[in-house]
Amino acid sequence: MEITREAIREGLARARYITTDAVETVLFLALTLEKPLLIEGPAGAGKTEIGKVLAETLHGELIRLQCYEGLDEAKALYEWNYQKQLLRIQADRDQGLSGEEVTQHAFAREYLLERPLLRAISTPRRSVLLIDEVDKADEEFEAFLLELLSDFQVTIPELGTVRATHRPVVVLTSNRARELSEALKRRCFYLWLDFPGAEKEREIVALKVPELDARLQEHVARFVNALRKLDLHKAPSIAETLDWARALRALQIRELNAAAVRQTLNVVLKHEEDLRKADSKLSALIGAATK
Amino acid sequence: MKDRLLGFFDALRQAGLSPSVGETLDAMAAVQAAGVERPLLREALATALVKDQADRAAFDAVFEHYFALPATGGARRQQAPREGDGVGRLGPGMGRGQQPEGRSDARERAEPQRPTPAQQPRAADALARRKALADKPFRDMDAMEVDALDALVAELGRRVRVRFARRARRAKRGRLDVRRTIRRALSRGGVPLELQWKRRRPGKNDLLALVDLSYSAATAAEFLLALLAPARRYFRRVHLLAYVDRPCPVSLEGGHVVPHEPFDLNARSDFGAVLRRLDERWPRGLGRNTLLLVLGDARNNRRPPRADLLAKLHRNTRRVVWLNPEPRQRWNSGDSVMDTYARHVDALLTASSPRLLATALSELARLAL
Repeated sequence: MEITREAIREGLARARYITTDAVETVLFLALTLEKPLLIEGPAGAGKTEIGKVLAETLHGELIRLQCYEGLDEAKALYEWNYQKQLLRIQADRDQGLSGEEVTQHAFAREYLLERPLLRAISTPRRSVLLIDEVDKADEEFEAFLLELLSDFQVTIPELGTVRATHRPVVVLTSNRARELSEALKRRCFYLWLDFPGAEKEREIVALKVPELDARLQEHVARFVNALRKLDLHKAPSIAETLDWARALRALQIRELNAAAVRQTLNVVLKHEEDLRKADSKLSALIGAATK
Repeated sequence: MKDRLLGFFDALRQAGLSPSVGETLDAMAAVQAAGVERPLLREALATALVKDQADRAAFDAVFEHYFALPATGGARRQQAPREGDGVGRLGPGMGRGQQPEGRSDARERAEPQRPTPAQQPRAADALARRKALADKPFRDMDAMEVDALDALVAELGRRVRVRFARRARRAKRGRLDVRRTIRRALSRGGVPLELQWKRRRPGKNDLLALVDLSYSAATAAEFLLALLAPARRYFRRVHLLAYVDRPCPVSLEGGHVVPHEPFDLNARSDFGAVLRRLDERWPRGLGRNTLLLVLGDARNNRRPPRADLLAKLHRNTRRVVWLNPEPRQRWNSGDSVMDTYARHVDALLTASSPRLLATALSELARLAL
């Protein structure tokens, strides 16, 4: 597939992902210039979704590496299937094979457990490597990632060097739980993905929950937009907005009044203190949404 | 265009962003791929050069100034000499009749020679002001500038945070972490082939920050506490004490220092009395793992300095670091007894402007962790 801005726009539209021109431009640049893309932003704004959507658009495989504290090379790159190797060694020894042959058998490719990073390097298909929440991993892991991202090759001592036939498209996401290293940021193109504005969110709701009344779609979008402006413990994500729209539809609520909101707001806000805060500002929020 | 971009990169550097050479090359490649339509140009440059959303506002301001539309009055552009050639060479993408041609025409008509840096437009002033504020001595700041310090906290605090983060590393040796060793061993059939060591918890040390809230040092003290906020998680316990003539526990809430006890800000500075009270409270010192950070100008109103108590504190504490918010020339003038105290501290740093204070804090990271 040739990478042009139009192709990307169409691809995003087909994957039903609504976003701004700026984001499309950045995606286009990252793909054309084959640079990894670092996406930061508040939780729930659609960062992980972009990775999935890109894979769909490029008709490629999505390989996902979910980072967590304590993630190390072994879990991310490859591990030997020790138990199976032991069995093989035992079987070979019983058959009386020589030491060399035993070793050769034991370190065959079939005993290698490929983890996401190695899969991304060795896959013959076009792929999107989504490294999710890289801020949860530690600095050593970042340094290791950096090395990998520059060369896209891995040397497995027993098997040799594995080089990528196609460089995968690399997308990293971060929730800004900590500052990422300068070296990693320098390597990537940067995208700040914030929550959409009321109008864009209305488009999203219209696309994903079309059965809902159009006026109500707009009110929902505006309400959540106003809600995000409050100082909440956790601002509602786009997924929660959609859940709310579906809930209103399921309960056949026709209008966004105080009663309706009170009944369903816990679909959007998951913290008690946030619910209380929203409740105290309810009339203002409804006013902003429905004017 | 290339010269234009080089000038733009310089302008960004002056505004406080520091794009690396690699990033500038990426930016040029991005511009080549994206084209020179203004919104595309903006995003192409931003994605390669702005790696932290906090810098985006500064980037936008510089971009507005640098790639200003010709119709905007009063906005002058820093332009390199052979600008016309660069523009012409860009190719078919420039066919859109707007800015490129318009710009070169305006340039030929209006400005035969290069504008001097003195003709910077108003848009860049805000950035220049912030930069100047970072280097301005605390004692020379007026009330408005003190309020503007909040913006600097984020920018300078980031560097402090990164420095602290870098120091908190994992141990390669030390105490054996049995749990993790066994967990690793599971995939090896129960044989502990790799020993796992306990991570050196970054919060091994305590921090006691003792800041002078007398009139002369109060601004610096508040700024220091604000900068310390992100570094707190690298210490096990953090105590914040403020003093004028006695130590008082405080906390930083909403950007203001809030004392936990009744506190007389108008008392006369007396660090000797402060030391006496600290000694009463902690007669055996603060502990092997505590770092004592003092911010003060060592002005004692000619009261007894009690350097012996500071010496005692120093012996029983991991490190004592003193930050002086006055410029070096003023130390030991008048009632300042800086030299008397200096003998008993591990590090004495100048912290007379926001930038110097941030640098001093980065030094703290090196000494403390």
